[in-house]
Amino acid sequence: MLPEADLPLRVVAGAAYFDFLGPPDEPWLARLIDESMRFEGHPRRMLAERLAEPLAFVAPHFKRRAASRVLLRLWRSEAVSGIKPIVLRQAVFEAASAEPARSRPQTLAAVAERLRCPVPEIERNLFADLPAERALRAPTPPPTAAALALATNLAIAQAALMRSCTVTIHVEGNTRPIVRLAKWRGLICVLGEPQQVRGATLEISGPFALFKHTLLYGRALAEVLPHLTWCPRFALRASCQLRGRLLDVALDNESPIFPAQPPTPFDSQLEQKFADDLSRRALDWDLVREPEPLAAAGTLIFPDFLLRHRIHTHKRVFVEIIGFWTPEYLTKKLAHLRACGVTNMILCLDESRLCAEEDLPPGAPVVRFRRRIDVDAVMVQVTRLTASGTVTPNIR
Amino acid sequence: MQLIFDRGTLVLRAVPSELDVGALPGVCWDERVQLWRAPGRVAYSLMAALKRRGVHVTDGVRPKLAPPSAFRTISLRDYQSAALHAWRSAGRRGVLALPTGAGKTHIALAVMAATAAPALCLVPTRALLGQWMTAIREVYGGPVGCLGDGEHHLQPVTVATFASAHRHMQSVGDKFGLLVVDEAHHFGNSRFDEALQMSIAPLRLGLTATPPQDVEAMDALARLVGPVVFEVAVADLLGTSLAPFERITLRLWLDPDEQTALDDLSQIYRQAFATFQATHPRGEWKDFVAMAGHTDEGRRALAAWRRTRRLLAFPRCKQRALASLLAQARDRRTLVFVGDNETAYAVAREHLIMPLTCDIGRTEREDVLQRFRDGRLRALVSAQVLNEGLDVPDADVGIVVAGRCGTREHTQRVGRLLRPRPGKHARVYELVVQRSNEVRQANLRWSRLVTRSRSAA
Repeated sequence: MLPEADLPLRVVAGAAYFDFLGPPDEPWLARLIDESMRFEGHPRRMLAERLAEPLAFVAPHFKRRAASRVLLRLWRSEAVSGIKPIVLRQAVFEAASAEPARSRPQTLAAVAERLRCPVPEIERNLFADLPAERALRAPTPPPTAAALALATNLAIAQAALMRSCTVTIHVEGNTRPIVRLAKWRGLICVLGEPQQVRGATLEISGPFALFKHTLLYGRALAEVLPHLTWCPRFALRASCQLRGRLLDVALDNESPIFPAQPPTPFDSQLEQKFADDLSRRALDWDLVREPEPLAAAGTLIFPDFLLRHRIHTHKRVFVEIIGFWTPEYLTKKLAHLRACGVTNMILCLDESRLCAEEDLPPGAPVVRFRRRIDVDAVMVQVTRLTASGTVTPNIR
Repeated sequence: MQLIFDRGTLVLRAVPSELDVGALPGVCWDERVQLWRAPGRVAYSLMAALKRRGVHVTDGVRPKLAPPSAFRTISLRDYQSAALHAWRSAGRRGVLALPTGAGKTHIALAVMAATAAPALCLVPTRALLGQWMTAIREVYGGPVGCLGDGEHHLQPVTVATFASAHRHMQSVGDKFGLLVVDEAHHFGNSRFDEALQMSIAPLRLGLTATPPQDVEAMDALARLVGPVVFEVAVADLLGTSLAPFERITLRLWLDPDEQTALDDLSQIYRQAFATFQATHPRGEWKDFVAMAGHTDEGRRALAAWRRTRRLLAFPRCKQRALASLLAQARDRRTLVFVGDNETAYAVAREHLIMPLTCDIGRTEREDVLQRFRDGRLRALVSAQVLNEGLDVPDADVGIVVAGRCGTREHTQRVGRLLRPRPGKHARVYELVVQRSNEVRQANLRWSRLVTRSRSAA
């Protein structure tokens, strides 16, 4: 992450505005890349020092520092050939201690003879494995100025969010990975007051944030950002500790943030197989992966799938695959769904973690499975839940 | 009523309607989840407050790990026993300030054995992690847990780095009843403070050779760990529990070409700083650094300043002096202290001395220290790693080549040489360049070493 001091931002009336890099910056970015290419084969430390010094071209200071750091990360280290440096160090320094009266060349010559390794190679490789001393290998292909600009922009935005303790996101589509990420990272994610008709407003923070503006959750909050770039629309607001005070930060889908890797379409092979099986066997039904969340009783429900009849579109059944569970959890979940008026949800339960039959609430719309979900059993439940209609699922 | 540990905080459930929860210590209403919540560190004071109000807590917080029971008997020196007594008298919370080499770790082990509470020891670096685990294993027969340096396993006695404890206290904050905080001066005004706030441990022991002088940091440390309850200075133990030492400062002159280069570089940044001070009369160096990046002139000034520092780090006069001192100390275990890793590697290449830097991995580092102990290595050079806590027994010559060395850092460095041994007389050489601010810095940093003792016990 970029240090706060390197962030190109302007402060206006309690808000921080980022000077994101764009096409006007590409000429000097190209020269920065060229400058870094001169250090191929040199220690990483030398390139870092060079990038910190004045350069032969004019570039906005903070933008240049941020881009330099991002560029430095793109470089890889050369593998050390020959005898391992750790072996060289042990041999050289022990030999010097054993016979302190010997001169430096004499000691190195003795070690070279013993290890059958020329003295210049010993000198070259003595610290070649240590991070700052590793020889650099240029990224292949070298980054373009435009790509470096976008990568720097993402780093800038993430560095700012690293200094936040709460973020509020209004998001349309692709909400689930964000909520899931928040849960995995031990954050509290609550449904905020809806500001717009579509989508959901999420407030994400950590438990300890109640007591102080902690930066403990900054890394987790910053991890949300790459996922947002895959949402059709989002607007993020955060209060970040920057320049010694709390400043409002706003980002949205217009922000020139480099997209991260696209999210994987399925959480597991199990879900993938279920989707494949269903698409082949229930031809009249469309399977929607991660449908829009259901807002109910102040919370959001994220079903894994929505099954929607192609002709009778009012026939809709949600499917959720449950991994780890307890009878208590299941009973509570079903009660919650009923309380929220969600009656068209099928729960697929992993039988290997299943309790006794009597533990399940009677008539619960569940399908048990082992390793693979039986699509036929799911469609039987679909038929039951949509029985009031006239259409029977077409199962081949 | 239930008190439940939740990710570094305490959640109050089934709260009696007649209870004035807002008056309880540290408790706030959490609008997000519609519950009362308090930071982990108030667990025991909260339970005490509830008890006073006659509220029955059916599910209170207790350390989840079993108490350690395999400690062997630990004998203490007189002043160590006094320190332990002072800590007990202060309600089993507080900081012990003792010089390096006075056996702080030993006292901590005695505290762990005496309290028999599941203990988490917090240490600042990965190097100290291994050292503490070794020290604990010498007096404790059970398994020792580790959090940090790529390991994550909990035991009734566990050692964690500050960074790992900060990251994981949300999940381990309810596991321990005793926190031992090594180098406790790092707390009080740091991001790691939150780790101490999230732990329910009621017993807290801080260890330091250099308690914070800043009043605000001292207050914060007192809240998190406890006040300084026992303090002994180097001067109190010299010749008895610490080896006596001699300070020798070598004032060196730069070679003419280096002096010219230094003067030229200094002029650039001094001129820029003077211009800055003319417009910002109260501006300090750090303000100048923050502003300098905005202009070409400022950037040049900063680059010149960095080159000045690099030049002073290891000029030819220091190279010659170091070579001469190393030749003299050929048969003695020697520690060389430099300002940065780059200089450490330069010294290592030139004089064939093993460097011990943060870049050296744990396995190699432990191996190096072992070889230094048994005499296969006669000298080590380090920038920062040896500054704090690392146990390097029997080094008797220290050569301070350079460093961004404040009083605290210097105290720690000199402390490396004071571990007692019969007949030992340590010697500390300082290489200082004349006509540079190294002379003033060298004089300043010796002040704390001669401070007399003060005991709050």
